[in-house]
Amino acid sequence: MTKIPISIITGYLGSGKTTLLKNILKDADKKIAVVMNEFGEIAVDSKIIKGKNIEIAELSGGCVCCSISGEFGLAIKELIRKVRPELIILETTGVADPENLVDDIQTTLSDLVFLDAAITVVDADGFLKFPSIGHTGRVQIEMADIILLNKMDLVSESQADEIELKVKQINPKAYFFRTRNCEIDFHTIFGFNVGNKQTKGHKQHITESWFSYESKFRMVRSKFETFLKALPKEIFRAKGFVLLDEKSYLLQYVAGRYELEPFKTDLNQIVFIGNGADNVKDKILRVLEHCH
Amino acid sequence: MPIPDFVKRINDYVWEIPVSYKDGMRVPARIIASKKLVEEMDMQVYDQVTNVATLPGLQKYAYCMPDGHSGYGFPIGGVAAMDAETGVISPGGVGFDINCGMRLVTTNLNYDDIKPRMKELLDMLFKKVPAGVGSTGFVKLTPQKFREVVQIGAKWAIENGYGWKEDLERTEEEGCSKFADQTKVSDKAIARGLDQIGTLGSGNHYLEVQVAKPENVFDKEIAKAYGITQPNQVVIMFHCGSRGFGHQVATDYLNTFLKVMEPKYGIKILDRELACAPFKSPEGQDYFAAMNCGLNMSFANRQVILHRIREVFESVFKKSAEDLEMRQVYDVAHNTAKLEKYEIDGKMKELIVHRKGATRAFGPGNPEVPKIYRKYGQPVILGGSMETGSYLLAGTKGAEELTFGSTAHGSGRTMSRTQAKREFRGEVLQKQMEARGILVKTMSYPGLAEEAGGAYKDVHAVVEACENAGISKRVVSLVPVLNVKG
Repeated sequence: MTKIPISIITGYLGSGKTTLLKNILKDADKKIAVVMNEFGEIAVDSKIIKGKNIEIAELSGGCVCCSISGEFGLAIKELIRKVRPELIILETTGVADPENLVDDIQTTLSDLVFLDAAITVVDADGFLKFPSIGHTGRVQIEMADIILLNKMDLVSESQADEIELKVKQINPKAYFFRTRNCEIDFHTIFGFNVGNKQTKGHKQHITESWFSYESKFRMVRSKFETFLKALPKEIFRAKGFVLLDEKSYLLQYVAGRYELEPFKTDLNQIVFIGNGADNVKDKILRVLEHCH
Repeated sequence: MPIPDFVKRINDYVWEIPVSYKDGMRVPARIIASKKLVEEMDMQVYDQVTNVATLPGLQKYAYCMPDGHSGYGFPIGGVAAMDAETGVISPGGVGFDINCGMRLVTTNLNYDDIKPRMKELLDMLFKKVPAGVGSTGFVKLTPQKFREVVQIGAKWAIENGYGWKEDLERTEEEGCSKFADQTKVSDKAIARGLDQIGTLGSGNHYLEVQVAKPENVFDKEIAKAYGITQPNQVVIMFHCGSRGFGHQVATDYLNTFLKVMEPKYGIKILDRELACAPFKSPEGQDYFAAMNCGLNMSFANRQVILHRIREVFESVFKKSAEDLEMRQVYDVAHNTAKLEKYEIDGKMKELIVHRKGATRAFGPGNPEVPKIYRKYGQPVILGGSMETGSYLLAGTKGAEELTFGSTAHGSGRTMSRTQAKREFRGEVLQKQMEARGILVKTMSYPGLAEEAGGAYKDVHAVVEACENAGISKRVVSLVPVLNVKG
């Protein structure tokens, strides 16, 4: 049984988290479980099933929305047992300290799930209004793999550049998307089905490109990990299968952080995704050849 | 970190950041701490306390107590008093866990009496006082009933048989803030708090059985007045707040304030976490009324927990709580904003005093201090880390003169929760503590690691700074022997 990806969405109240979730659920062709503090706007009128540690509301299209009523770790285990989702998204309230959740995911839950991406929604307009970055805001930015600079309709491109520069001082490794109303392609942000970009609900012009690598050679694990750690900033996601030393793995890479999970395969098959991925394609493929 | 040049030493325990430090500061910021404690503070504390100093109507200084560290908007350990007529009220200055606070109870048992029953006592306390993130209590209430609870606070608990009448007299504001108005509280907040009466919650919340060793009594007369009368006396201290209810009240009004602050009232702030509204505005008054419901919910919560603790002791020691003399010493709030009167430039003024991770510390003679303690000053219950112990202090006139009647509330973190979990392992910590005579039981080992003594400042240094600055006086220090970790 492969581990289930779990992504975290954080951001201040009013930054656009709920809008983002609605967009994700609208476009999703995977079974997603959204875990939130309360059902709120997502599961209006849904029938709610009360479990021991979690309450689950079924949404149209097979996805579910859940609210935790017991201990976090137990709730996630119960969710997986009952629903078996393909992706779990945790929506933290505008104020919670999400650091703690990350820690639970990486320690007590590490047999079942892996941290896919921490996505932080930054309200660009709010960022200009309040020049001092608050404590919670800072924590949210620090932990992000992906930052959505949202409400781009309310700021100019040059203002957005300034904000990005400031945010990068706190977190230099995160990957940026600039959005209006959190409109972003579900497949792009989660790296699903990238080979097939004919997705539904396509509103935003996607500047992300992708390429893939395939081979049958076994690579040296230490060399491959060195390669991963040095991936250029153009690549925000890489996923697929790899043959390392005597074993084979499932690879998940997001903005500098990666996970290798044992997985049966006889092929190296990696997809690289990012803004300007095309430009670094040759270089990356060349380095990969040296990992053998 | 060495103390930066912009932090000026006023005396050994008072440090000041002048208004010239940052555009928009209305008053200087003051940190009450020893040199060493200031050195342990991070840059964010300076940034936050000076952001607070820009808020409209702020009087004298924006303060940070010796246990200060960075928090949501205000530093934790922040004290700010605004003119009630012209100033603002800010949820960031109260905190999300409204009236997170401490309660201390004495017994007539001594350490030898409980030694043979330690395990049994711990297991039963753990069972009867639910802990953990989503913990729910034994009190089942309808939304309508719960609205009554948040309206009248601990009084509701007493009326329903959860405690003694004298408990109320020994609670800040007698456990029932008169400024509460449940009609200002959202249904969502009610829904989140409904089944949480009588529960500890998680994070830094705990219940401890402690011992007052004779060598740790600093002032025998006041200790006696507070009920610490015999060597190695057993006391119970616990720390918890308004759970999901207070959190939702804060969230609701932060949202409201962010919408009206600039468009309606023309208030510009540096950090959105300091969202505020004029205290006298409809929004400000509504938040004040709802926040006081949070205060009452928390007083009721601690009252029900006290009732459960008495039941546990009765069952383990086969004696009534009265026979065990399980009297409440006091109950103090940490996260509040209160209307209090102070002399400013020779005139008495009504102020809205924000205390965020700070304790009220009224001195002898203050009419707000219960009659039985008025001669000595208000009891201040200061919770240290679970490894190092806690303190019972007395409020002072000095606090009323220097810090709007406020002092520290705990030891104050030096390490983030994540960092603490990297440094310490819960299982190991539990064993180490057991070897030192502290039995601990927890819902979560990572949660236990977060609370390691090493993640906190030295509580003794914090208390010493408070005493030397004149904002409270040491009465007795208390050593933990049992800990239920939330």
